[in-house]
Amino acid sequence: MANPTNNPSDNSAPLIYEITLKGHLSPAWQSWFDDMTITLTDYGETILTGTIVDQAALHGLLKKIRDLGMPLLMVRKIDPKSPNSSTEA
Amino acid sequence: MSTPILLTKLYKPTPRPHLVSRARLIDSLNQSRHHKLTLISAAAGFGKTTLVSFWAEISEVPVAWLALDEDDADVARFLTYLITALQTFQATLGQKLLKILQSPPIPPVETLLISILNEVMELPENCVLVLDDYHLVDSPVIDNVLSFLVKHLPPQLHLLIITREDPNIQLSRLRARGEMLELRARDLRFTVKEATEFFNQNMGLNLKVQDIANLAERTEGWIAGLQLAAISLQNHPNPNQIIEEFTGSHYFVMDYLLEEVLNQQPAHIQDFLLKTAILNRMCASLGAALLEISEEEVQNILETLEQANLFVVPLDNARDWYRYHHLFGGLLRQRASKAVTIDIVALHLRASTWYEEHNFAIEAFHHASQTQDMDRIIYLVQGDKSPLYFQGTVSPILKWLQSLAPTVLNAQPELWVTFATVLSIAGRNHEVESKLDAAEEALKTHPDYPETSNLIGEIATLRALLAAPQFLVDTILEQANLALANLHPANTPMRTLALWSLAIASQFQGERLTARQAYAEVIALCQQTDNFFINILAHTGLGILYELDNELQYAAEIFELVVAEIGEPPLPMACEAYLGLARLAYQWNDLTTAQEYAQKSVELARQIDGISDYVGGELLLGRLKFVTGDRGGASAHIMQVEQEVHHKQFTHFYGNVATEQIRILIHQQQFEKAKQFAETYELPLSQARVSLAENNPAETLEILNAYLQTMFAQKWADEILRTQILQALAYFQQDELAPALEILGEVLHTAEPHGFVRLFLDEGPRMQDLLQIASQQQLSSNYVTQLLTAFVEPTAHPAHPSDQPLVEPLSERELEVLQLVADGLSNREISERLFIALDTVKGHNRRIYGKLQVQRRTEAVARARELGLI
Repeated sequence: MANPTNNPSDNSAPLIYEITLKGHLSPAWQSWFDDMTITLTDYGETILTGTIVDQAALHGLLKKIRDLGMPLLMVRKIDPKSPNSSTEA
Repeated sequence: MSTPILLTKLYKPTPRPHLVSRARLIDSLNQSRHHKLTLISAAAGFGKTTLVSFWAEISEVPVAWLALDEDDADVARFLTYLITALQTFQATLGQKLLKILQSPPIPPVETLLISILNEVMELPENCVLVLDDYHLVDSPVIDNVLSFLVKHLPPQLHLLIITREDPNIQLSRLRARGEMLELRARDLRFTVKEATEFFNQNMGLNLKVQDIANLAERTEGWIAGLQLAAISLQNHPNPNQIIEEFTGSHYFVMDYLLEEVLNQQPAHIQDFLLKTAILNRMCASLGAALLEISEEEVQNILETLEQANLFVVPLDNARDWYRYHHLFGGLLRQRASKAVTIDIVALHLRASTWYEEHNFAIEAFHHASQTQDMDRIIYLVQGDKSPLYFQGTVSPILKWLQSLAPTVLNAQPELWVTFATVLSIAGRNHEVESKLDAAEEALKTHPDYPETSNLIGEIATLRALLAAPQFLVDTILEQANLALANLHPANTPMRTLALWSLAIASQFQGERLTARQAYAEVIALCQQTDNFFINILAHTGLGILYELDNELQYAAEIFELVVAEIGEPPLPMACEAYLGLARLAYQWNDLTTAQEYAQKSVELARQIDGISDYVGGELLLGRLKFVTGDRGGASAHIMQVEQEVHHKQFTHFYGNVATEQIRILIHQQQFEKAKQFAETYELPLSQARVSLAENNPAETLEILNAYLQTMFAQKWADEILRTQILQALAYFQQDELAPALEILGEVLHTAEPHGFVRLFLDEGPRMQDLLQIASQQQLSSNYVTQLLTAFVEPTAHPAHPSDQPLVEPLSERELEVLQLVADGLSNREISERLFIALDTVKGHNRRIYGKLQVQRRTEAVARARELGLI
């Protein structure tokens, strides 16, 4: 794959991620999740959106989510240039 | 001395009374004795630990418990606790290994694991080891350790892992082979029936069938959720309202219910919960220090919480220690971080202080690292007698260092050095140099920094250590000397390492006196710091140096000391000491003992991956074949060794192998080839032997005289002896009796006090003749007589083995292997059954065939049966 962002050592560029969890979380959790935005959907899901510094930070965040027992539904990387396109992770 | 063992980690939780009956799951768990691994993998709050502790209580097989945490990512610590947990089954299991694990660097992990598994093999009955919270050990290294354990698990031991995420240990393979029993969320959920029992019987509620069904559906049978729901229902004035609100909403179960339950608590309990949430575990004393209330009050609160099944779990029978149920801990911490009235940093400081006062160094460090108090953190890292990272605490300190900004590190250059040291201990050698460079850069900007000299010394020590495995002798010496010149005299851990590098480098260079002195110093320092591993290596090195100085008895004493220190069953690192004893036994012409020790040495050395130490032993075994008359066997054996050595490019041993080959070639009268070998590998003594065999004493003397000059200059006592003996033979060959006897006299004079025998015997009939003449001239009478007697003693080698008993009996291990061969097992199967490397099995087979005088498996089995061996 020629895509340079697949290079595992290129951890340096911050990324915007969208993480979908099952259940509604109160906005009070924002700071716990490193100032991610919390959006509650009508389908009973919570979407955490925010900048994640690198892969290590992403995995740390996922671990936090796991340890709180919130079912993880989806993780998406958002392309900052065109917010409507994204690559499924 | 390392940090104390936390007994609470080994505590088997006592199940609470009045648990919902989970007969179907208990039945499953009872099948664990038919599987290598039982895996209980589900998110938090599915009652995993409750289930297993309940089962452990009624289990028919003995169960040991080990509760894991993040700090167990350190291999030494993990293995320490593993062994201690296994001691539940047998109190002395792995005692000596525990000692070794106390001071890094530790031997290769695989050898430790093999030793542990070998000891587990001795356990009489089926037993189960529970590893709780495996997901907390976030480490691929430990995953590999676990994989290895599972792969080689003896039949008696069964593992049970409780985790929140599947461990990375080839589960699909285990599943496919039916070696694993699994319980997952879908198995652990409460069924509606179980939920009903829970709500209406255990919690004393009287809920309607429909409500229970709704709650069960809403929570998907998630036990923690149902638990909290029950608690909140118990105390709520209007239970129906809650049920409706809850089941009709999307609120994240835990969040919603926790809020509910927390709000129902009296203020002082809420305060307690939020403040103590930062602790991994707590006792009355610690709680009191944190909240600044009385211990009695704390104990009361803890017991109240436990009774109400609210959040806390006791960690021992005496109800001294508790921890939060993992789920609640995290949520409480989140709440606490938002509570403006709570000063988290101050709490961490109080916790750190308490832990320090009670000698829990790692926990004190953990809490301190959550504050910004750099001085305190550094002080705790440095530890009482020696830094924490020298005692096995590596990952938490590494994590902390990695979290620091470069500006912080630059302001305190010793942090860079600590960083480099910890990376080095963690085996991440390629990352070390950049940190050392950064340290030096930082020091430049602090011209009057305190303890600069010591830091320079530490930097040099680390550079010496980096150079050692690469045999960069000049670098090692340069850096080690720089280190010793600069290190603070009281900086024992670093001095020991620097001296150790010096000793190794000197030894590589042949600077024997320097090496000897350095080893002696290392040993003295090791006594101070109780560093078992380096102590053993230094002693072995010293023994070898004594041997090279012809001090055979001293050498033997030291090797025997090492073997005794290591104890039984011997660890692989004992191989060098056994080899030393083998060489000495050989020199003293005790060939049976030499054989035994050489074999033992090879067996042990082959257990260590990638190390060439077994070559010495194999060469000695070849030599033993040769001198006992099995010339064909010797030749074949040495040829095999040569193949292996060249294939693996053990260049260090090329010369030794060639020396043995040349001996054989001379015997076969292949003088040209022998000469070639001797020239290629620059072996003057072998060259001399060829010339002697060709009857060319002039050439012999030319070679030897030159060599002797060099040897005198370097003071290599052993080579001097070997050279002089050949000189004597050369003069003898030239009919110059006077110089021959003069030199022989010198040799005898030097050799007698140390009991050298084979030095003379190995030179054959020519030496016998010379000694005969010498005895007639009354040169050192007793000794010479002894030697002459040795020459004529028969070393029997049967020409036709069929009716004669074995000259060399098979060792116990060889009989074991032979029995398995007779049972039809392949070499690989044998290696797996006996937990030894495949190479080792092949080595055993070679020796067995040699002893039985056969070429093939089938012949070996037949012959063994003939002799009644199997």
